[in-house]
Amino acid sequence: MRLRTPRGRHALALFGAAVLVLVGPPLLTTGDGGDTGTQIPGLRFMVPNTPGGGYDITARTAAKNAEDAGLTHNIEVFNLPGAGGTVGLSRLVGEHGNGRLAMSMGLGVVGAVRSNDAPKTLADTTPIARLTEEQDVVVVAKDSPYRTIDDLIGAWKERPGKLPVGGGSAPGGPDHLAPMLMARAAGIAPRDVNYIPFDGGGELLASILGDKVAFGVSGVGEYLDQIRAGELRLLAVTGPERVTGLDAPTLQEAGYDVNFTNWRGIVAPPGLTDAERAKLTRLIEKLHDSPEWRQSLKQNGWDDAFLTGEKFGEFLEAQDERVVSVLKELGL
Amino acid sequence: MDALTSLLDGFGTALTPVNILWAAVGVLLGTAIGVLPGIGPAMAVALLLPVTYGLDPIGAFIMFAGIYYGAMFGGSTTSILLNTPGESAAVVAAMEGNPMARSGRGAQALAAAAIGHFAGGMVGTVLLVALAPTVAELAVGIGAPDYFAIMVLAFIAVTSVLGSSRVRGLASLLIGLTIGLVGLDQMTGQQRLTFGSLQLADGVDVVIVAVGLFAIGEALWVAAHLRRGPGEPIPVGRPWLGRSDLRRTWKSWLRGPFIGFPFGAIPAGGAEIPTFLSYVTEKRLSKHRDEWGKGAIEGVAGPESAASASAAGTLVSMLTLGLPTTAVAAVMLAAFQQYGIQPGPLLFEHEPDLVWGLIASLFVGMVLLLALNLPLAPLWAKLLRIPRPYLYAGIMFFAAVGAYAVGGEVIDLVILLVIGLIGLGMRRYGLPVLPAVIGVILGPGAEQQLRRALQISDGSVTGLVNTPFAVTVYAVIVVLLAWPLLKRLAARARTARSV
Amino acid sequence: MTTPPTGTPHSTGTPHPTGTPHPTDTPPAPAADRGSWLRNHSELGVCVLLLALGVLVLTDALTMDVDIAQRGPVGPRTVPVVVGAGLLLIAALLAVDVLRGGRGQAEAGEDVDLSEPADWRTVLLLTGVFLGSAVLIEPLGFPAAGALLFWGAAFALGSRRHDRDPLVAAVLSLVTYAVFNNLLGVPLPGGPLMGVL
Repeated sequence: MRLRTPRGRHALALFGAAVLVLVGPPLLTTGDGGDTGTQIPGLRFMVPNTPGGGYDITARTAAKNAEDAGLTHNIEVFNLPGAGGTVGLSRLVGEHGNGRLAMSMGLGVVGAVRSNDAPKTLADTTPIARLTEEQDVVVVAKDSPYRTIDDLIGAWKERPGKLPVGGGSAPGGPDHLAPMLMARAAGIAPRDVNYIPFDGGGELLASILGDKVAFGVSGVGEYLDQIRAGELRLLAVTGPERVTGLDAPTLQEAGYDVNFTNWRGIVAPPGLTDAERAKLTRLIEKLHDSPEWRQSLKQNGWDDAFLTGEKFGEFLEAQDERVVSVLKELGL
Repeated sequence: MDALTSLLDGFGTALTPVNILWAAVGVLLGTAIGVLPGIGPAMAVALLLPVTYGLDPIGAFIMFAGIYYGAMFGGSTTSILLNTPGESAAVVAAMEGNPMARSGRGAQALAAAAIGHFAGGMVGTVLLVALAPTVAELAVGIGAPDYFAIMVLAFIAVTSVLGSSRVRGLASLLIGLTIGLVGLDQMTGQQRLTFGSLQLADGVDVVIVAVGLFAIGEALWVAAHLRRGPGEPIPVGRPWLGRSDLRRTWKSWLRGPFIGFPFGAIPAGGAEIPTFLSYVTEKRLSKHRDEWGKGAIEGVAGPESAASASAAGTLVSMLTLGLPTTAVAAVMLAAFQQYGIQPGPLLFEHEPDLVWGLIASLFVGMVLLLALNLPLAPLWAKLLRIPRPYLYAGIMFFAAVGAYAVGGEVIDLVILLVIGLIGLGMRRYGLPVLPAVIGVILGPGAEQQLRRALQISDGSVTGLVNTPFAVTVYAVIVVLLAWPLLKRLAARARTARSV
Repeated sequence: MTTPPTGTPHSTGTPHPTGTPHPTDTPPAPAADRGSWLRNHSELGVCVLLLALGVLVLTDALTMDVDIAQRGPVGPRTVPVVVGAGLLLIAALLAVDVLRGGRGQAEAGEDVDLSEPADWRTVLLLTGVFLGSAVLIEPLGFPAAGALLFWGAAFALGSRRHDRDPLVAAVLSLVTYAVFNNLLGVPLPGGPLMGVL
C-alpha cells in the first residue's frame, strides 16, 4: 500500500479546494477605493418585482442616470419579485445596517404589505426619498359609447356589475384602489364594483382595446402613446391637476371627490449610521438635480415629486394609514 | 409591397458591418447566458441591458433581438443535455431531447433544436412582416372566453401524454394542478396553500417544478438504481442529422411556427402552451409512435420551432401596439423607453428606420444563430461523456444554482428538493412526470381565464361561449372527442353490412 | 439545522449484500408474510399520499374565508375544491387498481439498473448533501456550499478520486460564482472571509 503519497495528495487537494472557495470570493470582489463624494462602491438597487415592471424601470433608469452623470460607478440592479414586493421588502429589512443596498418601491408595496399581512412593513426601513409621481388615467376604447366621465359614471352607477373595470394590479394595488375610490365618490358600494385584475398594463391594454372591459384604470405613462394615437379615449385623470398635453378633466373637476396619485421612491435597510444615510440621500439628491434625470422624467411621463428623509418617512406613514382605511372599507 | 420596400431598407441598416457585429455579439452572449441555470430570456435581456448603453438605439435593439433568440436557444441546450430546462419554453424539449442525448444522439437533438429555432424564427418573422397590423388587431380581439376554450383544448390534449396507465397519468396531472394552486389567488388575492409563507405567495415557478421533477428526480432515481461496474460512456454517435432524421423533421419544423406564432402575438399567450400543443400534435402525426418518450426527434424539432416563432409573435404585439405579451417584451419595452422611444401604434410612423432595421436584423440574427450553434452541437454533446458521478453531481449543482442564484432564497432549494423527491416517488411507482408539469402550466392559466370570463359577463355562464372563436374551438373539441366514437360506428356499420 | 449523514466510504461503493428493498412509506411489519404483502403493495403508499394531499387541499379551500366580494359563480375556492375532490377520487381508483394487481412500471433508463434492489442509502446521502449545502450557503458562502454539493453528490454516486474531486468541485463552484457575481451582477454570498481580506 502506498500510504504517504495518496493521503498527502488527498489532503493537498482538500486544502487547495478550501483555499479556493474561501479566499477566492473576496479576491474576486473588486477593490473598494474612491469612497468619496457621492461615490458608493458596490451599491446595489433591489427591484421587488419582475424585469420590465414599474419599479424595475424606475430603478434601472435611476441607476443609468446616476452613472451617466458620473455620480457613482456601476450600480447593480437586481430583481427579487414576490408577493407584490413584500418578499423583497423582508429581504431588505433583513439586511440590517447594509449601507450599500437600496430598494425601489411605491404605493403598490404599501398596499401589498397590508393585503398580504406581511411581517415586515415599510416602517422597518430607512426611508431615503420619494422620486416620482404618476397619475392614474381612466380610459376607454376609441369606439366605446362613453364619451365623457359623466357618461361613464352614470352608466356605472346604474349597473355596476355589468361594467367590468380592468386594472393592472392585484387587489390592494394602485390600479385597484383608484377605481374603488372613484366608486366611493360616485356612491357605488365597493362590493358592487366588478374589478378585474390583469398582469400589468400590457394585458390590460389588450382588454381595453378589445372592449373586454368597460373601462380601464392605469398609470398615465403606460398609455401615453395609445392616447395620442387615438386608440384609447382618455376620460379623466385621478390626480389633483390636469396632465399637461392631455385633454381631460381631473375627477375633482368633474365633481367626484377623488385625489389619487401613484408614486415611487427609494428605501434602504434599517440600522444605517447617520453618515451612511446622509451619503445615500446625497447621491439621490444629486441624481435628482442631474439633467439626465430631468430628461428621463420627461420621457417616461413621470412627475417630479422629490421628498427626502423625515418628510418622506411621514409621507409613508400617512399613505399606510390611508391604504389601511380604504382596504378596511372595502372589506379586504 | 410597401412593407417589402421598407424591409429592404431595413436590411440596408441591419447589414452594415457594425450592426452585424452587434447581432453576432448579442446571439453569442444570449446563448451563453441562456445556458446558465435559472436565467431565462427576460433575465438575460435585463442583465445585459447595461452592455448596450453605449450603443445607438438601432445597434442596441439589434443586439437585444440577438440576445432574445440566443437566450431562448441556450435554454433548450441544457434542457436537452442535462434534463434541466433553463426556462419554461424549453421544458417540453427535455421530454424527447434528453432521451436522445442519453442514447448518443445529443448532437442530432441539438441540431434539430437549432434548425427548429431557425425555421421558427424565419417563418415567424416573415409572418411578422406580412401580417403585423392584421395580427395585432386580431390579437386584441382575443379575450378570456377564447383563452379558456384553448385551455380546455389543451387539457383534452393532455390525455395523449398520460402514458400507459390512465389512472397514474391523472394522478400525476392532479399533483401538478395542486402545485399550481399554491400562491395568492390571482383574482382576489386570497392565500392558497401558502401556509403563511411569503415566498410561496407567487406560487412555485414552473421552471423549478420542471427542474425538480426532471433533473433532481432523475438524479435521485439514478442514485437508487445506479448501474454499478465499469459503466460504458454515452456513445457519441454521428455528429450530424442523417437523411432519415431530416425526412422526419422537416414537416415538424414547418408546422411549429403556425402553432407558436399566434400564441406569441396574443396578450396572454406565451411559449409554454404552444410548445406543449406542438409536442402533442407531432406525437399524433408521427409515424414512429413507439419512439416517443425514448427520443423521438420530431418531439424536439416541432416544439423548438414553435417556441422560436412565438418569440417573433411577441414582437408583433410589442412593436405595433406597445403591448408586452411576455416578460422579455416588457423588458425590451422598458429598454425602448430608456432611449426615449415609445413602442405603440405610432412607432412604425415615427421610427421606421429603427423598426425595419430591427426586423431585418431578426433575419440576420437567425442566420447567425444557426451558423454559430450548428457546429457547436457535437461539441456540446461531448459534455455527456464525463464520468457518471460527475454528470449527476453536475446536474444537481446546476439545478441548485438555477433555483438559488436569482432569488437568493434558501427556501427555493428546499422546495426544489421536495419536488425532486416527489419526482423520485413518481419514477418508482410509474407515474409519468410530464402531466404534472403540464398541470402546473395549464392549471393557473385556465382558472384565471375562466374566472375572468365569468366576471366580465357578471356571472353569466354564457360569457364562456359568447365569441365565435370560443365556439369554434369547442366545436373542434367535440369533433376530436367524438372522432373515435364515429370511427367505431362507421366500422360497425361496415361490418354489419358485410355480414 | 440538518447535518448531512456521513456514510462510511466503502459502503456505497460496492453493492451491499443486505440490500433489501425498503418501501418508502410502509413501516416494517413483524410477520414475514404480512411484510411481503405490504412490500408487494407498497404502491398503496402513493394512494395514502394522494389522499392526504386531497384532504389538505380541501381543508385549505374550505377554511379560506371568502368574505370579499366574490363575483360570479366561480370563486377562489371552486378550483381547489374540484382538484381536492379529484385527488380523493384518484386515490381511491389507484387503490382499487393496485389491489386488483395493477403495478406502476418503475421507470427504466440508460443509467438505471432495475435488476438490483433499490439503494436507498445513496438517495438518503444525496438528499442530505443537498439539504446540508442549502443550509450552509448563508454561513459559508456560495462557492464553499456549491463545492460541497458537487463533491458530496459525486461521492454519494461512487466517485472516489479524493485527489481530484474536491478541486474539480471548487473550481466549478468558484467559476460559477464569478460568472454570476462579477460578470452578470447577480449577487451571491461570498463567505466568511468577505470584508476580512
